Amino acid sequence: MIDLEHVVMSYPNGTVALNDVSLHVDEGEFVFVVGASGAGKSTLMKLLLREEKVTSGRITIDGNDLSKLNYFQVPYFRRKIGVVYQDFRLFPKKKVYENVSFAMQIVGVSGKKIKTRVPALLNTVGLGDKLNSFPHELSGGEQQRVALARALANNPKIIVADEPTGNIDPKMSFEIMDLLLKINGLGKTVLVVTHDQNLVDYYRQRVIKIEHGHIVEDRVGGMFE
Amino acid sequence: MRKPSYFVSQGLQGFLRNGVMSVASVAVLMACLVVLGCFALLVVDIDLNLENLGLMNEIVAFVDYDLTEEEIVAVEEKIRAIDYVDEDSVERITAAEGLESMKEKAGEYAYLYEEYEDDNPLTDSFKISNIDSEYVEDVVYSLQHIEGIRKVRNQLDLASTIESFKNGVMIVFVWFLAVLLIVSIFVIINTIKLSVYSRKEEIEVMRYIGATGMFISMPFVCEGVVIGIVASLPAFFITTALYSYTVSSMADQLTMLVFVEVGDIGPALFLAFLGIGVLTGVVGSTISLSRYIRS
Repeated sequence: MIDLEHVVMSYPNGTVALNDVSLHVDEGEFVFVVGASGAGKSTLMKLLLREEKVTSGRITIDGNDLSKLNYFQVPYFRRKIGVVYQDFRLFPKKKVYENVSFAMQIVGVSGKKIKTRVPALLNTVGLGDKLNSFPHELSGGEQQRVALARALANNPKIIVADEPTGNIDPKMSFEIMDLLLKINGLGKTVLVVTHDQNLVDYYRQRVIKIEHGHIVEDRVGGMFE
Repeated sequence: MRKPSYFVSQGLQGFLRNGVMSVASVAVLMACLVVLGCFALLVVDIDLNLENLGLMNEIVAFVDYDLTEEEIVAVEEKIRAIDYVDEDSVERITAAEGLESMKEKAGEYAYLYEEYEDDNPLTDSFKISNIDSEYVEDVVYSLQHIEGIRKVRNQLDLASTIESFKNGVMIVFVWFLAVLLIVSIFVIINTIKLSVYSRKEEIEVMRYIGATGMFISMPFVCEGVVIGIVASLPAFFITTALYSYTVSSMADQLTMLVFVEVGDIGPALFLAFLGIGVLTGVVGSTISLSRYIRS
């Protein structure tokens, strides 16, 4: 599903963010990516979303060689990946329903399908009764659930979550992680970039640790340290 | 793909959200269109007058005072025989007709010519029109060498003076067009940039969700188009009002001139304004977006 082969990523200022990174993630896997600030996690995210191109090496996701995607192909590739951010990044002037439906409208889903799918998605994340609320009327955990529903809206094969629990309280963090595991149970490949040691230690999933641009640990059922 | 109504409504929202910058863009583009419109109408009027006065290629040849009717007919035949002169384009104007024409032009002072009716000082003349401008000098030369012709009046100098004036106006017009359109596009570029900046985070999320460049940029292009349309409407009314006022002020003093009617040129002017306005909006917004969307 996700393959990195000897990936090197250096920025124009000379900073080498990732150095000879190789990894493989199977379809349906759940992976924590951990590491200190500046270790290269964010660069990895950018590469996976094809926001940046590798300096050398190759990234293949669901059969797409990301280096070979042109400008017009990138949006269609991104539809295969649902993204969740630490700061939720919801549209503040849109209601919960509209935040999710907009993601579907962008890719041209029919109005009929949107009307049936959005409430179902919001029920899945436990917000079936908040359809008409605005983001500012929700708690951090609820906003992250909306973001999750939006990430799932176009039925992507992969969910990438960048510090999804960074802005919410510990109790909610476990609820969000439970949801991500539930989504993983639906067959989605889930990558969670996190600093949260408790969560990583608690869930005992595959853990990939990055330090100074290198993968220093890759263990199934691993812990943060 | 979303309905066009989505892009239009987003464009309108962007236009309203940018308040002062939108108004500035509209004002600059509107001023540009008014100046362009005035120049365009001036050029149209100059053309119309040149055409109306028939100055471009008309020559008048006056015969000698003491010619008999037979001699005048002979002169006419020689004129018709000149190369580049179309036989149907030679018109004889008798001395009496010439005097009558002068009386008509004199209007209320026509009585001044009455005393000449019995002793007409004019002679017959021939008006030769529709000469290819390239051969006018050849025809004049030939006329001057026909026996019985005392004078050839050639208004090419006046025509070329007016033509030069028109060309001068056209050059100024083109420069104004270029400078004002560049200024308008520059202001629109900044307005759209501001609009993009205010929606930066929203656009970023849209890109990660998988929105195409077209989907992201169309609302901003529509915003540029809205600026163009909003500017072109008042520009049209201001230009036509200015023109009507100017023409009505000049009509009494410059009776020899003719002016194109607003009703005749209005639709074309309106469409031109709308076209330039929309095009400027599209170009401005596209330039503004190109760097952002490609990144």
